[in-house]
Amino acid sequence: MRHTYALAALLVLLFSCSSPTTGTEGRPETLVIGGDDASAHTDNLYQMPTPNELFQIVRTMSGEGQKRMMSPAKNVERYATRQKKALNFGVYATDLVYASTYKITSEVVRYYLTCKKLGDALGLAGSFSDADFVRLERNLTHGDSLDVISNEAYERAYRRMQDERMGPTLALVLAGGWVESMHLVARQVLHFDAGDPLVIRVAEQKTSLDHLIEMMEQYKDDPGVAQTREKLIGLRDIYDTFPVVRSEHLGTSPSGRPILGEDVNVIITPEGFKALVDALAVLREDIIRPEDIIDPSHS
Amino acid sequence: MQLRLLLPAVAFTMSALAMGQSECSEFWKSAPRASDVRFSVNGQSKGASVQVGVPTELNIIIYKGQDYRISFVYDEKIIGDHVVARLIEKVRGPRKKTGQAGEDAPAFEDAKKVIWDNQDHEMADAVEFTATSTKRIAIEVMAPGVPENPKDAKRGRVSSDIGCMGILIEHMPTPAVGF
Repeated sequence: MRHTYALAALLVLLFSCSSPTTGTEGRPETLVIGGDDASAHTDNLYQMPTPNELFQIVRTMSGEGQKRMMSPAKNVERYATRQKKALNFGVYATDLVYASTYKITSEVVRYYLTCKKLGDALGLAGSFSDADFVRLERNLTHGDSLDVISNEAYERAYRRMQDERMGPTLALVLAGGWVESMHLVARQVLHFDAGDPLVIRVAEQKTSLDHLIEMMEQYKDDPGVAQTREKLIGLRDIYDTFPVVRSEHLGTSPSGRPILGEDVNVIITPEGFKALVDALAVLREDIIRPEDIIDPSHS
Repeated sequence: MQLRLLLPAVAFTMSALAMGQSECSEFWKSAPRASDVRFSVNGQSKGASVQVGVPTELNIIIYKGQDYRISFVYDEKIIGDHVVARLIEKVRGPRKKTGQAGEDAPAFEDAKKVIWDNQDHEMADAVEFTATSTKRIAIEVMAPGVPENPKDAKRGRVSSDIGCMGILIEHMPTPAVGF
């Protein structure tokens, strides 16, 4: 009998731990998602596109990739804090995907090893595996395989950080990756033209920045995340000066698939573009600066 | 006798709890792929454990010039034979002025708009569309659950209301069709 009571107590305890307040008891008869108070009861999950998605799109609009635009791999040993390691893991992983997408084969191995080193330091050992390294070396002459292998490694690290609930680290990695992606795309714009597809892509990244800042909010109690998020909000303030125009899409999709919602265009001016690129350069410099170098603005 | 009745319930509860985020995290991989082989798997696909009756939002980015397919896969024994799903676009813009004092500084907020609702499409488990703008999209899903089995209730079995759900996202550059 005592066993029965013990098991019953265990059962009650388990349920009290596992059931959120909104159980089946409070379930409405008719399922209506949303409503004014929905956000308070909704489980929110966030995903960011992998850098190769953006690079695959802009590759058709830009020239060759340039390795001088990538963050120097030799600095990898010079990041000591978790914040800097995570930010620069995002930077280097983006550089790896960039080098793979643009077939800068001489740099792919270097950046793979750089990511592996920094990944190991962040507790992501195995995401950039020796087996994949061998695979990568074998495929150096096949550019198409390189971006697949690099992207797989990136995704493995990304999902591992999610599975192991390394939220603040992941937030910093994504922030570093976003800044580096923007740098690599924006630096390809040599002369401003509001109609240039690359300029339009830079303007559109307002969307991914809004998304990133919203995602980081859940980890804002982490000092490293809070500091980085504040700097990203500074960039968003510049973006917020760009008008956003919504209009009905005219015509049909070339593929015949439906178009959902309206067209949303972010209008960017030469002054706005310059302000954004300048602020981005300052932020990136701050991120990639090794920690044994004193920030000139603080001296 | 009572002990024998309680043991399966405890075991069931334990297994439901053990089925945490990690077990469900790859659930999206079990979703049927698009019939159009040009679609490739998008890195924003996600699996998670969801609770019956509690909306879950997966926030993603879609890029202009791409076609997307978003499909849902779920454990029908717990989630039910369908899910209720909506796509909601979020656009950040200036907040509309209310005319109240202290509104000088520009304030911004997300304007949300439902752009697809599977309740208007026979509770479809998948949607394909063309993105003509880069957007933030919230994929909102809710599980209806299954009716309680009277036999289970009689035997003292406790049914779980937490099950796995996967959202598979596929994409490809918008292809041109025709001549």
